[in-house]
Amino acid sequence: MSTVTAGRASPVSRRRRPRTLSRALWSLSLAALLALGAVFAFTDSAVSDARGGLKVIGHGAGPQAIATADLYYALSDMDVQIAGILLLGRERNLGIGRDQAMSRYEQDRDQADRAALQAAELAGSDPAGQRSVRFVLYSLGRYERLTDQAVVLDDQSGHPAGPAPQNVISIYRQAAAVMKVDLLPGAYNLTLDAGSVVRHGYLVRRDAVLAGRIPVAVAGGALIALLAGLQVLCAARFRRLINPALLLATLGAAALLATTLVLLTDEAEHLTAAKTSGFDATLALSRARALGNRAVADESRYLLDPGHADIDTETYLDESQAVLYVPADSIGQYDAAIGPAVAAGTGFLGFLGDEARGTPVPGGRGALASVLAAYQRFQRDDRQMRALGSRRDATAVKVGVLRSDFDLYDAALVSLTARHQAALTSAIRAGDDELGGWSLLPVAVLALAAVVIGGVAPRLWEFH
Amino acid sequence: MLKIVTAALLAVGLTACAAAPSSAAGKSTLVIGVKADQPGLGLAGPGGQFSGFEVEVGTYIARKLGASKVGFKAVTSYNRERLLNQGTVDLVLASYSITPQRDTLVTFGGPYYLAHQDTMVRSDETGIRTVHDLAGRRMCEAAGSVSTQRVTAGLGIAARLVPSPSYSDCYAKLLSGQVDAVSTGDLVLAGFVAQANGAVRIIGDPFSDERYGVGLRKGDIDGCEAVNRAITAMYQDGTAARLLRKWFGTTGLPLAGSTPQFEGCA
Repeated sequence: MSTVTAGRASPVSRRRRPRTLSRALWSLSLAALLALGAVFAFTDSAVSDARGGLKVIGHGAGPQAIATADLYYALSDMDVQIAGILLLGRERNLGIGRDQAMSRYEQDRDQADRAALQAAELAGSDPAGQRSVRFVLYSLGRYERLTDQAVVLDDQSGHPAGPAPQNVISIYRQAAAVMKVDLLPGAYNLTLDAGSVVRHGYLVRRDAVLAGRIPVAVAGGALIALLAGLQVLCAARFRRLINPALLLATLGAAALLATTLVLLTDEAEHLTAAKTSGFDATLALSRARALGNRAVADESRYLLDPGHADIDTETYLDESQAVLYVPADSIGQYDAAIGPAVAAGTGFLGFLGDEARGTPVPGGRGALASVLAAYQRFQRDDRQMRALGSRRDATAVKVGVLRSDFDLYDAALVSLTARHQAALTSAIRAGDDELGGWSLLPVAVLALAAVVIGGVAPRLWEFH
Repeated sequence: MLKIVTAALLAVGLTACAAAPSSAAGKSTLVIGVKADQPGLGLAGPGGQFSGFEVEVGTYIARKLGASKVGFKAVTSYNRERLLNQGTVDLVLASYSITPQRDTLVTFGGPYYLAHQDTMVRSDETGIRTVHDLAGRRMCEAAGSVSTQRVTAGLGIAARLVPSPSYSDCYAKLLSGQVDAVSTGDLVLAGFVAQANGAVRIIGDPFSDERYGVGLRKGDIDGCEAVNRAITAMYQDGTAARLLRKWFGTTGLPLAGSTPQFEGCA
């Protein structure tokens, strides 16, 4: 349309010019307000994805997944205590003693019950998950019946500390088989399922947050361009160099866009930090703790049931290698390889190897060094125990120095895990805090809209 | 300011992101690597068709993963990792024990079966009752397998090793009297026992856990999680028990009935 013509204009075009200009102003303003609405909608959706991601990892499935790892630990510790009780026989005051072992067994059982409830909640309406939880509870009942029987028979036998009599062993073997074949795999797989729920929640939400930046950037860019267009139009038609309200709106829009993009990028980073150095590491170390405890139970079985000593030694090595892997076919080779590998810093695999290669958390390196030192110490104790000819003497080492060195290792591992849990909490809190200010988004958007209208309305008024 | 620029660049750069490498989950055609010379587990017939426990388990898993076409390809202990990672096969079920070292090369779903290392002897053998009786006896050592080391280095038993290219060759050597014992996962041994018409037997002195895993391309976490869900379903719906009975029911092998403890995908 030839509305801008130099020189004498016809009376018609003189009348049309203001109407066309007013229409252009109207359309640009409306488009700017629509773009602002789009920025709001896209930002709001990306922010709610971030909120959802933080919820899955920090408040929902994440903590429940860690609770299922505690289920595995509680179960394996029940097995440790039972094997320990049977090993003591009539010598009830060796080591922590029978009464304390019994009360720890009962605490473990309560913890297992609570964790199983959490797992049931996490499984929700998933039928396969529900079946898995029911199977764990059913197997727990079977295990308890068998161990009760074994303990009664053991009490009646009154054997000295060390291997138990055959009738006790044969019942205990059945209980140990339920633990090994049904109970622990069931619990472990529940943890893996829960971890997978968290992983999916994380991936979907993080990708949505990152991808959510594109529509925000496009709508925000359009908004700024439209506001600039309005500015140019006003400058050209009303012979004012700048419209202060529109300038304010443009700067405000640019600030909003930049803040939003930074916020969404930050949120994705918080989600990743919470997931990897928080949740993943916490879960991995909880699994390491549970497997280490399995190794302790295998040690007890090695003493308790000489007929199964080969397989108990072999699974002891397997579990040790899952925690800290160096290539070895025998515990002798394992001992020889472990020192140089640990000294080299990262020359080992397994859960602790992953930890050594992972992103460090504050204080994590020092805590890992303590774990590694304590781990080597209790492994050395184990070899000293195995070297003793007398099962009675070996049992005394097992419930004495070996137990207390293992407890030190376990405490070091728990303290390292706590650091990752703290990293998880702080990443979630940082994410939540940053999102907290975001409830003001509607206010900011309305204020911007008001400024735009405030800048354009007087110009439109001039046409009346 | 730098943060803002980075954020803006990232937002733009996202559109140029490459697609993630494909997962075994959701592929319409899956190629499964199986052994060709292991009776009961994976055996190639004269027409090139494969049969065995691992072939059927692999088919079940592939169907659960959503594949409409399932193909098979023979793998050996030497080329499993290479064929997986270059994409020639999508899954490997080949009496593939999960070990931390192999874990660095491939991703393991499962295990779908927890085997135990045991020892196979001729049925008329009376001198080998436990694994410790292998001291001084001739034990077959199959190439690429870690089983013999578990006896010699692991348990410190001084058996005389007779090298051999494969377990089927070990079995032939056992029948012909060139070796006295073959020691490896009991599921592998049971496959030979099932076809031996009573000529060989398993002594029943298990001394280790062998976790037979499903090999996937390194990093295929989605595929691995789908495989684990399929294995859980296979145990829960009775398919695992049925297949174990079908292939090993006559061998006297104690057949585990509940879902094994998975390795974990991440």
